[in-house]
Amino acid sequence: MKSLTHRAKRVSNKRMTFLEKLYLPAILGGMWITIRHFFKKKVTIKYPEQVREFSPVFRGLHVLKRDDTGAERCTACGLCAVACPAEAITMDAAERVHGEESMYREEKYASRYDINMLRCIFCGLCEEACPKQAIFLTDRIVPASARRDDFVWGKDRLVEPLTHRIDISKRHFYYKQQGKP
Amino acid sequence: MTHSDHLVTVNLGPTHPATHGILQNVIQLDGERIVSAVPTIGYIHRAFEKLAEHRPYYQITPITDRLNYCSSPINNIGWELTVEKLLNVQTSQRIDYMRVIIMELARIADHLICNSILGVDSGAFSGFLYLFQHRELIYEIYEEICGTRLTTNIGRIGGFERDFSDIARQKIQKFLDIFPPALKEFESLFNRNRIFMDRTIGVGAISAERALNYGFTGPNLRATGVDYDVRALTPYSSYSDFDFDIPIGESGDTYDRFMVRNEEMWQSLRIIDQALRRLPAGPYHVDVPEFYLPPKSDVYEYMEALIYHFKIVMGEIPVPVGDVYHSVEGANGELGFYLISDGGRTPFRLHFRRPCFVYYQAFPEMVIGSLLSDAVITMSSLNVIAGELDA
Amino acid sequence: MSIYLFLIEKTILSLVIFAITLSIAMYSTLAERKFAAFFQDRIGPNRAGPFGLLQPLADGLKFFFKEEFIPASSDKILFVLGPAIAMIMSCMSGAVIPWGKSLIIGGHPVSLQITDLNIGILYIFAVVSFGVYGVILGAWASNNKYALLSAIRASSQMISYEIAMGLALIALVMTTGTLSLSKIVESQAASHWNILLQPLGFLIFLICVFAETNRTPFDLPECEAELIGGYHTEYSSMKLGFYLFAEYINMFVASAVISTLYFGGYDVPFLNVSGNIGVLLGTACLFAKIFGFIFLFMWVRWTVPRFRYDQLMRLGWNGLIPLAILNLLVTGIVLVLN
Repeated sequence: MKSLTHRAKRVSNKRMTFLEKLYLPAILGGMWITIRHFFKKKVTIKYPEQVREFSPVFRGLHVLKRDDTGAERCTACGLCAVACPAEAITMDAAERVHGEESMYREEKYASRYDINMLRCIFCGLCEEACPKQAIFLTDRIVPASARRDDFVWGKDRLVEPLTHRIDISKRHFYYKQQGKP
Repeated sequence: MTHSDHLVTVNLGPTHPATHGILQNVIQLDGERIVSAVPTIGYIHRAFEKLAEHRPYYQITPITDRLNYCSSPINNIGWELTVEKLLNVQTSQRIDYMRVIIMELARIADHLICNSILGVDSGAFSGFLYLFQHRELIYEIYEEICGTRLTTNIGRIGGFERDFSDIARQKIQKFLDIFPPALKEFESLFNRNRIFMDRTIGVGAISAERALNYGFTGPNLRATGVDYDVRALTPYSSYSDFDFDIPIGESGDTYDRFMVRNEEMWQSLRIIDQALRRLPAGPYHVDVPEFYLPPKSDVYEYMEALIYHFKIVMGEIPVPVGDVYHSVEGANGELGFYLISDGGRTPFRLHFRRPCFVYYQAFPEMVIGSLLSDAVITMSSLNVIAGELDA
Repeated sequence: MSIYLFLIEKTILSLVIFAITLSIAMYSTLAERKFAAFFQDRIGPNRAGPFGLLQPLADGLKFFFKEEFIPASSDKILFVLGPAIAMIMSCMSGAVIPWGKSLIIGGHPVSLQITDLNIGILYIFAVVSFGVYGVILGAWASNNKYALLSAIRASSQMISYEIAMGLALIALVMTTGTLSLSKIVESQAASHWNILLQPLGFLIFLICVFAETNRTPFDLPECEAELIGGYHTEYSSMKLGFYLFAEYINMFVASAVISTLYFGGYDVPFLNVSGNIGVLLGTACLFAKIFGFIFLFMWVRWTVPRFRYDQLMRLGWNGLIPLAILNLLVTGIVLVLN
């Protein structure tokens, strides 16, 4: 066969030397390697007690953010649902009525916002598409469940609680470029 | 007794420990010898090509994750390069180098899985975990750059979603320091071990001519002695800047494939090292406001950015009409994307050229006449990934 | 000594050895998993009890509570008989192994060997060969093609390697001049261990033992990557447990036999303590040797790949048997010259 490039490098040598034919040297050499591993530091992470640190940009469970005053940021523009390749986001929009100004930041808000976590592929495109910094993926993980219904997360679980704000400041993708939280 | 009376038909798969993924082989055995093999495909066909016809270009990247899920960044970047070719976007050297680093990491991740699983299928489990723990390091690098480990969705059309952070850079360096001794150790466990050599030499061999006729590419073709490598012959993403060898084998058997993949890992390490040392400064994405999302701060301040933001997400930017084919050297072989655009928001037609699909066709020819154990390790060394095979 | 006392003594000894065999087999499963983990930079089971020490109990409990599943198309009687044979045969072989010298209890010498057969080696051979019937019957009865392939592999492997094993042993018997295991141990205690006289014989014997116990690199009958579970593919619950258990008991007994034949059995090197303490020390030493071999079994298992069926046969017939014959010849010549 003619060579196509000048970089070819033949790598496999199938001729065995006498020692290699005897089996034992290679086996003993292998055993030497494995016994060294026997006493090595173990790499296992003992999960529930020990948790590996996620990167700051980890794409885990979503959160719907509130602004500093506690009003929901989402304005139900629908970009996240459009951007979602898995079609996991369902939303209904509603108009803010008088007296709800402290609950919703804009005049329009999502009256319903569901993410089907079984459909979601955690690609992060919703976060990127959001023009209102309302939806973020966090370093939390969707809890397991034996019931399918449990995986459709509505606003009750997605919107961050007022008392228990979720810190996304480490997700420098948006934060750095923009200057203000 | 007629000839077929003493043949035994076994279903190797779809749920057999040796079929990594959902593959099926209906094998007829005469004793332990394989008389005929019929591969079945389609167990995890998800109609990606059709799905892609209903997604804007940027949404197809996560779909490509799921082709060869052992090295999804190569698929992602391959797709982005294809779209950039259609849009005629030139990327800067820095972006190219960043992509090269990621793609070579992915190649290492893929090869180390394939080779160490070959060890598992031939009965030696420990070597698998010695390498596997280093794939974890690669995944942590992905995680640092794109936010997740397996289905990466890394990069965007026109560059990357974010720059390499300092931690990511440290992690790459750490990997370059830690991995070579581990790979060396793995090689000394297998390369010259007679039990392993006997198991693999002459097993599942295919001649260069037959391989070319089938359309083999990648390590499986190189194992037959043909030094075909997309990275060297039609360089993309500045691969021509790097110095690397193309390992080839002799007779295209399992041992050759194993050795070629091993050596490719060394070459990938070389490329990453070169790219990392020569990584130029500059932005991590090209300035194509029509296709690369503007920074969020601009979305608030400037009407133009806001309009682009909406148009990109909605997929309403006109694209050129035409068709492009772009291929990258995937971990498994030439991964091609044939894209026909009618100017609409989604591809008119998209075809993935998946190397695994080709290999699997040759599988019967490669195993007929050999023993059942050979079929298992031949399949393993072909590295047929069900997600890519069925797409 | 009255016959009743004798019976009581032997019954107690049998029960004790049975219990020890079972518990060692039980903890071998844990040891295997732990050692495998250590060889592979992992930790291994550590949830059941401290360091996972209760894991074998949990496993056993799980086996008992699992559904008793017998495939509809199987031969029901043989399906049950298979694991039973495997288990019984592996437990039986411990009977002739001298676990120590005689203890002196109340003036009576109490032998730590259940029975000192003058053909102890042959007995072990017979029982071990019987063990393969458990595998074959179970595999055939489960009416599964993978299991059947495994049974064929198992039987041909056992037969082939028994020949080389036997030839290696004949050389040993020629040097020691007896087939009785206790006499072999005594002769080693008197002079030196047989490993020094028969190094090649020992190597052949060791390899054959690996093959007989179906351990990697000869674990073809149950190689997971090819035959799913091999002969126990269709088995569940405690019947599967019996097969797995039998494997570990076999490993234990095989280690005991190797220690007895080649490593001086209960002989403690460079130490001469008399009385009951000396006897117990000897027994402890035997167990130390056994554990050493069990560790070796596991160490090899987690290092090397396995052979292919035809290569295994070739190694047995073309490699080990000629070597064993050569060993036999050289031994004979040396014996005649002396």
